[in-house]
Amino acid sequence: MLASVAPASSDNCLTRNDWICGKYYSSRAGDLTDALVQHVGIVVVSVLLGLAVAVPLALLARRYRKLEGVIVGTTTALYTIPSLALFSLLVPVTGLGVTTVVIGLGLYSLTILVRNILEGLRAVPADVRESALGMGYAARRMLWRVEVPLALPAIMAGLRVATVSTVALTTVGAILDYGGLGDLLVDGTRTNFKAQVLATSVLCVLLAVVLDLLLVGLQRLLTPWTRTEAAR
Amino acid sequence: MHTSLVRRTLVALVAIPLMFTAACGGGGGKVVIVGQKFTEADIMTQLYKAVLDNAGYDTSVKNLGARDIYLSPLMKGDVTISADYLSSMTEALNRKANGDSAPKVASADEQATLTQLNKLAKKDGLTALEPAKAEDANAFAVTQKFAQDNHLTTLSDLGASGLSVKLGGNSDCPQRADCQKGLEDTYGIKVSGFEPTGFGSQATKDDLVHGVTQIGSVGTTDATLDKLGLVILADDKHLQNAENLVPIVNSDWLKDNAKAKKALDKLSAVLTTADLTAMIGKVDLDRQKAADVAKAYLKDKGLI
Repeated sequence: MLASVAPASSDNCLTRNDWICGKYYSSRAGDLTDALVQHVGIVVVSVLLGLAVAVPLALLARRYRKLEGVIVGTTTALYTIPSLALFSLLVPVTGLGVTTVVIGLGLYSLTILVRNILEGLRAVPADVRESALGMGYAARRMLWRVEVPLALPAIMAGLRVATVSTVALTTVGAILDYGGLGDLLVDGTRTNFKAQVLATSVLCVLLAVVLDLLLVGLQRLLTPWTRTEAAR
Repeated sequence: MHTSLVRRTLVALVAIPLMFTAACGGGGGKVVIVGQKFTEADIMTQLYKAVLDNAGYDTSVKNLGARDIYLSPLMKGDVTISADYLSSMTEALNRKANGDSAPKVASADEQATLTQLNKLAKKDGLTALEPAKAEDANAFAVTQKFAQDNHLTTLSDLGASGLSVKLGGNSDCPQRADCQKGLEDTYGIKVSGFEPTGFGSQATKDDLVHGVTQIGSVGTTDATLDKLGLVILADDKHLQNAENLVPIVNSDWLKDNAKAKKALDKLSAVLTTADLTAMIGKVDLDRQKAADVAKAYLKDKGLI
């Protein structure tokens, strides 16, 4: 819009502010790659961090009924904290770096992960558990050999939602200049830079789709029995 | 497709720990420059970076969403320099020290405001360096035709002309002493109506161009004014606070780094509002990169 009212010094798709602009991709390829790589890294580390925290929390919640309300309630409430406030609260402790963004996003992912892990474990049929007990499975062995595999579809479903939502949420890291594609997206929106807004948005969506497909593939690898069942 | 994505993901996994170490390295010999997240701040931080790189420093730049985020890291020394605004920073520190309802200490007087700023900054371990000539203050624009037809160059001229004008600006403008109230009380301008179209927004400028309003609230470094046929009327009675661009540095770091001060002061002595506005135009309209624009300017001025 700015460019349309203000003919710039040289006429090209950048100064015309076209939505699709070859000159943009060629001049910013490096910036886009850097941002994408940072975005992928932040998403992967945040979700892994979330998972590492969510599993013990879900187990605690299952074991101690009294804790369940507190754990599920707290991890849900976390999601309602505005990102600007959460990052501002974390900065004095964790500094201005990427750590703050990763911790913030990891905390947000707990909302989805804790619930899904808990529900998945709950959904394991009681008779299966009893059979395992009858076969002499101890608690820990039963968890990893019987309950977690059976809960995997629910856990993976949670992981997929958490991953896709983290791809979108990572952009708010732009507040700290660690937003991956979000840094470019915020700049593009602010200066009405259409080519940049479109390119970064499309990359965000593609990234979410690709990560989701990878997780679907991982789930198929981890739960081969669900496939044979479907084939029957 | 898959292999390249896998490779990228692997690179990202390697890059993440590197990012962590980079984030922790701020306290050492490195210089961390911060600014807020808009084109002008982007250009200022890149100008600071280029002159300090040239002076032999190892610098990095971060553009953050709000001043609140970098204020305490700047005091602690995790951040070395911020690209800031004279009166805005003064009032931010004033509010921090004396509460939100503290009487205002910033003014249109650049030197007086700088004195106030350094008085406040000292307690927080900060020092304001030499402010640039360049200033991003609130201002009021009219069309060039309107200015010519009525022989206007200053807001006083408009007041003396007796013309009734419709005003466009931010929704809080009618109540503000530096906006509509000031135009009426200080300059005697007859404001016949108000359009709440925002400060310096496209809508505010479009209204001027189309004659919906005759005067609009804009920023002094707005790169689009000239091309839209708009011109700023001078604030000859100093309604607006001095908002010169000023580097705020961590005082402890400054003690051993006089050469950094020298380099930044040299830049501030040269940089004018027109220079800054032209650079903003190159980024926002010609879509050049802020770092390239900053370097080209400094080379042109013989500063690097």
